[in-house]
Amino acid sequence: MDLYIQVLVSGLLLGGVYALISVGLNLIFGVVRIINFAHGEMVMIAMYLTFWLHHFSKLDPYVSAIVIMPVMFIFGIVFQRIVVQPILATSATMKIFATVGVSLLLQNLALIAWKGDFRTVQTSYSMSSLEVFDIIVSIPRLVAFSAALLSIIVLYYFLKYTYVGKALRAIVEDHAVARLMGVNVEKHYILAFGMGTMFTALGGVLLMPFSSVYPTVGVTFTLLAFVVVVLGGLGSMSGTFFAGLFIGVVESIGGTFVSPALKEAIYFAIFVLVLLVRPQGLFGKGKGSEEVGLK
Amino acid sequence: MKPNLRYWLGAPAFLILLLIPWFFQSTFVLHMHTLIFFYIALTAVWNIPAFGGKLSLGHAAFFGIGAYTATILYVKYGITPWLGLLAALVVSMLGGLVMTLPLIRLRGPFFTLASIAFAEVLRMIAIDWRSLTNGSVGINIPFKPAWINMTFQGGKPFYYMSLILAVGIVWLTYRLKNSALGFHLRAAASDEEAAQALGINTSRAHFIALMWSSGLTGAIGVFYVFYIYVLEPHTIFSLDLFSLQPALNGIIGGMGTISGPVIGAILMTPLGEFLRFYLGTIQQGLNYVVYGLVLIATVKFIPGGIVSLLTPIIKRTPGRKKIPLSGQVEAR
Repeated sequence: MDLYIQVLVSGLLLGGVYALISVGLNLIFGVVRIINFAHGEMVMIAMYLTFWLHHFSKLDPYVSAIVIMPVMFIFGIVFQRIVVQPILATSATMKIFATVGVSLLLQNLALIAWKGDFRTVQTSYSMSSLEVFDIIVSIPRLVAFSAALLSIIVLYYFLKYTYVGKALRAIVEDHAVARLMGVNVEKHYILAFGMGTMFTALGGVLLMPFSSVYPTVGVTFTLLAFVVVVLGGLGSMSGTFFAGLFIGVVESIGGTFVSPALKEAIYFAIFVLVLLVRPQGLFGKGKGSEEVGLK
Repeated sequence: MKPNLRYWLGAPAFLILLLIPWFFQSTFVLHMHTLIFFYIALTAVWNIPAFGGKLSLGHAAFFGIGAYTATILYVKYGITPWLGLLAALVVSMLGGLVMTLPLIRLRGPFFTLASIAFAEVLRMIAIDWRSLTNGSVGINIPFKPAWINMTFQGGKPFYYMSLILAVGIVWLTYRLKNSALGFHLRAAASDEEAAQALGINTSRAHFIALMWSSGLTGAIGVFYVFYIYVLEPHTIFSLDLFSLQPALNGIIGGMGTISGPVIGAILMTPLGEFLRFYLGTIQQGLNYVVYGLVLIATVKFIPGGIVSLLTPIIKRTPGRKKIPLSGQVEAR
């Protein structure tokens, strides 16, 4: 019985970080309506930044988030301005190719700059854990979960109560009407991209103390984030959060009782199942989802 | 291109290609041509679902299924690869069926994402199922030159086989595109709902296209693996080599056209090999950096591919408007 609770707990903790990475994607995908195949590469870059900051200046991974988040915010804006903005008017297929190109570019630039080695950050707390009722809770995973939860709550209230947040939600629901209501849609595209990248990057930073980074680490995260967003529903932050937890638990169960190699198979099965049975996701806003192919 | 122009350009080109092995003895020339023919064939079959706007980035899955089927039959059971070829065709079609049935209703980017996941799953299975596939070590094909073993001394037989394969498959895609199925697919690509309203069963059209595509990709996989003698899951199910590369060739040449894949493969294969051997040895990964840049630049500057630059020059017949492809999920 303890084993089951153990698996459940570690799944939930991991799922929190997955949720954070996917929240970033949901913001970008929901607002800008672009399938960003380079999403995982943003996680990868954030992980490498964490590693190098730790390596050269002995900066603690959690402290380095203060530097990395603004840097990745700017990275997101630059990415949107240079790559995404010029191709917004083209077909969805073209957008896929442009972002696949970016993903290929970033992966291999990382390979050139930092080689294919697996790199990990060794901290004093990497291996430490708590024991609550015979359940072992790893400290870095607990920190990651709490920080992810906190960021998602902050984002949730930001979207709900600030003017900018309301404008962003309006664009998710219908950008043509949002424009008619006087929202500067292009400006919010840039903002959404920056914010989405920033939250995704935070996810990468939080993962670093207990996992390793290598150039192609992002591929799995791209797939994972899309599965979570589709499952949770486009434009729904709470949906993404619970879907992230769910995927974390499923992965943890599958990894323990079946085979860790089946991770992708599980994602694939859930992805297809959700799209067929409930295309708007568990908490989806539904409207407008057809236009990006969510049908 | 007018039919007679096609004939006057195509016939001499084909003749020259037939004679090349007799004039150039260098294995490099033969190898490069063989690779180009393989990629023409691979890109052309990748392009079949693309007529209908379905963009797959998981064709390595079918390529791998085909290659594995024939190799396992040959190495473990001694069945000639020629029969293995048929088996590969059938088994990779079955693979296509498994992928297509749940995904057929997914549109645009979601189909693409799911196809990537599908290929990844198959790669994991190939690595995990050691008793059948020999795991990540892969399978070596013993070198026993004979027609029946599809193994040859020297590169000439494979040169001709791949040439015939390429020409045959391009001809087939031409016939498909101009058949009822081709028109249904193109209608579905420009507007799925409108096509359905006109009574076209678009799901059926996509399905048939994907069946053709998956089966033929598996068959090409068989030729490829008997050409290189080595079957290794990381290479054969590689996202870069057999999923991304045909897509890249297709998009650079011109997606959904007949000549696009040919032009794309002719341009990109030597470039790819050059980059791999020259830049790749200087710095691993540099070749894909160039690929990424080419891809972004193509989307930005010539979204219709190179064909769209050539058509105004070659095609002067008025009244035949080009049907826009894959406009079904146009962003507002």
